[in-house]
Amino acid sequence: MISASPLNIATCCTQLQCDRGNAAKTALRWLSVDGTLRDYSFAELDQLSNRFANVLHPFALQPQSVIATLLPKCPEHFIAFLGTLKQGQICAPLFANLGDLALRDRLADSRARLLVTRKSQLKKILRHQQNLPDLRAILLTDSTEDLAPHILSYPKRLQQASIHFSALPTAATTPALLHYTSGSTGQPKGVLHIHGSLHQQRVSVREVLQLQPDDLYWCTADHGWITGSVYGIIAPWSEGLRQLHYGGGYAADRWCNILSQQQVSVWYTAPTALRLLMREPAEQLRQLHLPHLRHIFSVGEPLNPEILRWAQQTLGKEIYDTWFQTETGAIAIANRPGLPLRPGSMGKPVSGIAAAILDAAGQPVADGVPGDLCLHRSFGSLFTGYLNATAAYQAKFRGDYYCSGDCASRDAQGYYWFKGRTDDVINTGGHLVSPFEIESALLEVAEVAESAVVGIDDDLLYQKIVAFVQLHDGCPANRELEIRLRLHISNRVSTIATPQDLVFINQIPKNTSGKILRRLLRARYLGLPEGDLSTLDCP
Amino acid sequence: MNLNDQLNTIFREVFDDDNIVLSPDTTADDIDGWDSLSHVNLIVTIETRLGIRFAPRELLTFRNVGDLMTSIRNKLS
Repeated sequence: MISASPLNIATCCTQLQCDRGNAAKTALRWLSVDGTLRDYSFAELDQLSNRFANVLHPFALQPQSVIATLLPKCPEHFIAFLGTLKQGQICAPLFANLGDLALRDRLADSRARLLVTRKSQLKKILRHQQNLPDLRAILLTDSTEDLAPHILSYPKRLQQASIHFSALPTAATTPALLHYTSGSTGQPKGVLHIHGSLHQQRVSVREVLQLQPDDLYWCTADHGWITGSVYGIIAPWSEGLRQLHYGGGYAADRWCNILSQQQVSVWYTAPTALRLLMREPAEQLRQLHLPHLRHIFSVGEPLNPEILRWAQQTLGKEIYDTWFQTETGAIAIANRPGLPLRPGSMGKPVSGIAAAILDAAGQPVADGVPGDLCLHRSFGSLFTGYLNATAAYQAKFRGDYYCSGDCASRDAQGYYWFKGRTDDVINTGGHLVSPFEIESALLEVAEVAESAVVGIDDDLLYQKIVAFVQLHDGCPANRELEIRLRLHISNRVSTIATPQDLVFINQIPKNTSGKILRRLLRARYLGLPEGDLSTLDCP
Repeated sequence: MNLNDQLNTIFREVFDDDNIVLSPDTTADDIDGWDSLSHVNLIVTIETRLGIRFAPRELLTFRNVGDLMTSIRNKLS
């Protein structure tokens, strides 16, 4: 149970570090895509985030208002994130490649009062302005002048603001962070985390990532996702650690150079990136000079044993797979240095986490038997609610246990083994994607009568997205329409939601209750036996 | 419509941004949202609209929009 004693994540990440003698220590090593390096000390981070907290002052926001960010990886995001928390407000980092519909839904649901973004995103936002009555202003990080009374220059305001700010004495139970997550049905849900999550997050940094004071740590996760916020901002800085952040996306040669030239000590990345790296010539990778790289960690989807073997043979390193969710707020189950590796296993629970495999009745199952992976609600980083969705929040609990929606088993030695999802959510490239959001977007296209979206096992992405589309009578299926559908999903939902394959079919198979038979679609797509068709409506 | 205009139109559609103005020096770093997934959308759209095909290896050699345009011109001629 979290006490209501004062605690502010941003203060712990900045001011407290300065008080502890880390003022001059580098907090952020920023590497831009053009190769420019810029180090920010903890003192600079403290002052810049103070400035941002002061930037918010004239808006006279009620405490716990939501400030959203929609930015590529950049220092302005870190500053806005920390400044928002110092002000006692809630930061909602959004994935920069969200489409306009996905963005509208999240901004409207969170009732975001301010949005920090770039000029290129304005079109998406202004298109839905009438649906966002709570949005008072937009702060543009790449505009030196205000563009309209409510479209303001971030750098101008930051420069004018004072470096002095006394963070509000937030209680540990005060909400701090809002991340949206996809469900198998309905709209994405806003997952709320409180300042008190910090304790468990720090436990995981010490016990799992095992970061040391002189380390240079690199978390490649986008800050639109929980990993980016917790392990790319909060947990390392609250421990006074030095982080590298790079402004570009995945590129094998660039990432390898960064690991080598920047002398990264601990690297936290995604299995998809590692699988892409596996495609590079092994001889080239063996020549990489990585004496400083102590540990590699991975998150987002299960690591197959082949990757572990590849890393041992080509990089001479172990990769430690970690498991957590937006809702758990911190790594809950993990492999880590010191714990013998069992290839393919999720590892063991982190201190403070009581995990269990339960059956549908909420009873523990025997070792080796698959069931629902559940966590006792007693740990401090567990989410405190879904915004505006109390019933959905309550539905995630079975007694005192949070049900993750993942199916897993535990072996006799206490290692956990992931088996799959218990719902229709698709895990592609480490991102959870809702079939519902993609199907809804497809239905906006005039030619589309019905659609169904499923995840299909994939060697690179873990699951690829396959969309089945039924057109209205008389509408021809052709390449041009396929492209329009792809771009529509990409621009309305997200690039990560764009199907890898789009299949036109005469009829979406449903059961007699009208439910889409996704199992049947997967079987047909893969050419597998169709199984029991007794419930199929109009076979 | 010349090739430059055609390509500009495709880029604006793919990246949902009417402010994009291409130059030969434009790279993925200059356009918000140009990630590996939208890159697939871009290539597929160019191939379909212009009736050409890129070889997978060829795609790796493009350093900027200028390289992309040169390749397209060669294919169209």
